[in-house]
Amino acid sequence: MQTIIEVNGLKKSYKDKEVIHGIGFTVNEGEILCFLGPNGAGKSTTINIITGALRFDGGSISYKGESIYSDLLGYKSRLGIVPQDLALYEDLTAERNVLFFASLYGLKGEALKEGCRFALEFTGLSDKAKDKVNTFSGGMKRRLNIACAIAHKPELLIMDEPTVGIDPQSRKHILEGVKQLRKQGMTILYTTHYMEEVEEISTRIIIMDLGNIIAEGTNESLKAGAESNDASAETVSLETVFLQLTGKSLRN
Amino acid sequence: MYKFKQIFRLDLMNLLTNPMWVFYAIGFPLALILVLGFLMSGSYGHTVTSYDYYGVALMIFGIFNAATFSANSIMEERIKSPNMRIVYSPVRPFYIHFSKVLASFVFCTAAYSLVAVLLHITVGINYGGADWWAALAIMLAGNFFFASLGVTVCCLLKNEGITNNILSTLFALFAILGGLFFPIDGLGKAISAISWLSPAKWMLAACFRIIYDGDFTLLAPLIGGLALLSALSVLLGARFFRGEDYI
Repeated sequence: MQTIIEVNGLKKSYKDKEVIHGIGFTVNEGEILCFLGPNGAGKSTTINIITGALRFDGGSISYKGESIYSDLLGYKSRLGIVPQDLALYEDLTAERNVLFFASLYGLKGEALKEGCRFALEFTGLSDKAKDKVNTFSGGMKRRLNIACAIAHKPELLIMDEPTVGIDPQSRKHILEGVKQLRKQGMTILYTTHYMEEVEEISTRIIIMDLGNIIAEGTNESLKAGAESNDASAETVSLETVFLQLTGKSLRN
Repeated sequence: MYKFKQIFRLDLMNLLTNPMWVFYAIGFPLALILVLGFLMSGSYGHTVTSYDYYGVALMIFGIFNAATFSANSIMEERIKSPNMRIVYSPVRPFYIHFSKVLASFVFCTAAYSLVAVLLHITVGINYGGADWWAALAIMLAGNFFFASLGVTVCCLLKNEGITNNILSTLFALFAILGGLFFPIDGLGKAISAISWLSPAKWMLAACFRIIYDGDFTLLAPLIGGLALLSALSVLLGARFFRGEDYI
C-alpha cells in the first residue's frame, strides 16, 4: 500500500502550552485509520492540522512525498472533511448545501449535479433533497454533514467523530457507508470515542493520549499485546486495551 | 473566480433571507425617518423640510450600519459553522473575507436605494434632483467602507458581539457629533469645528451642499478618502483573517 500522508515530529502549542508533542505516523492508501483517545488527547487538533486548516509549530506533513504547503489548495482539493460540529446552512435545502460545498471543490455543471446525486443517495437523503436542513433530525443532519464532504469524491476522507449523538440506525448507516467508501477506493481517517465503531470498521488504529501516540496497530495486534497482562484473547476487548493504556481516571 | 462567485452568492442570500436583517436594513430606517420627520416637522422650514433633513442624515446613519451586517455575516453563530467548512475547502482565504464585504455592500446598497426611492415617492424627500448620482456615489463609497470596516474589526477581535458593541457605540458618537439626529452647528463655533472630526459630518455636509447649493467641492475628497480607507481596511482585514479562528 502506498503511503499518502506522512507526518513527522508534529508539534502544536496553544499559547505556551504544547498539546501535540512531536508525533509521527503515516496514512496508507485504501485504509481506514481510526484515531482513538480520551478527551484532550489531541485527536481533533491532529486531524485539523492534517486538513491544512490549522498551522503547526514543528515537524512536517507530506502528501505523496511533497509538503502539503507546496500546493495547499491542490492538497485540500483531494480531501473531504466531515467536521465534528455540523457545518451546514440550516435555512437551505439539503441539495443546496451539497451543491454549494461541492462547487468549492471546482465541480460544475453535470459533474456537480452528478456528485450531489451520488452524495445524497449514498447517505440515504435523496428523498429529502428539497427539504430545508432545519426540518431534519440529528441523524439526518449528521448524514448530510457527510454528504457535503463526499460529493466531489475525495481521495482522503477525514471524519472527526461523525456519529456523535445519533440513533443506532443512522450510526449503522454511516458505518456501512464508511466501509463502502473504502471499497470504492477512498482512504479514510476516522476519530471516535466509540470502541465498537473502531472494532467494526478500522484496518489500523492509533491510540493517542495527552498529545502523544501511545499505541498503534490493528485491532487484533493491540488486543494481543494486552492479553498477556489481563486475560485470554477471547475476553480482551478494545475497551480493555484502551483503559489499560490511558488509565481509568476521569478526564476533563 | 467561479469559487468566489459561489461564496458571494451564498453570502448575499444569507443576508437577503434573514428577516431580521431585512427589517433592520429597510423597515428600521424607513420608520425612523418617517417618525422623526413627522415629529420634528415644526422645527424645520419649507425649503429643507424635516423629512428632507432626516431622509439624508438617517440614511448616513444607516450606512454606518453596513459594518454590523458585514460583522454578522462573517462570525454570526448561525453562519460560523458552515463558514468553517469553507475554510477547509480549497478556496483562497481572501475570497472568504472579501465576499462578506462585497455581499454586505450589495445588500446595503440595494436596501438603502429602495428606502430612498420609497421616501422620495411617498414624502418627496429631495435627493438632489438631477444630481442624485452624486448622493448615490457618496452612499456607495460609505457603504463599501463601513462594510469592510465591520469585517476587519471582527477579524481582529474574533467576536461578532464585541465588534457590534464597540462599533455601535462609536457610530452613535459619530452620529451625534456629526449632527445626524439634530443639527449641531447652532451650538457654537467650537462644537461646529469639532463636529468635522466625525465622518458623518463630512458625508452630511457633502450631501447637503450638492443637493441645495449644487456645490460639489467636498465630493471628490470625500469619495477619495473613503476609497483610500476602504482599500486600507480590506488589506488589514485580509491580514487579520485567520481560517483557524473558525475551528
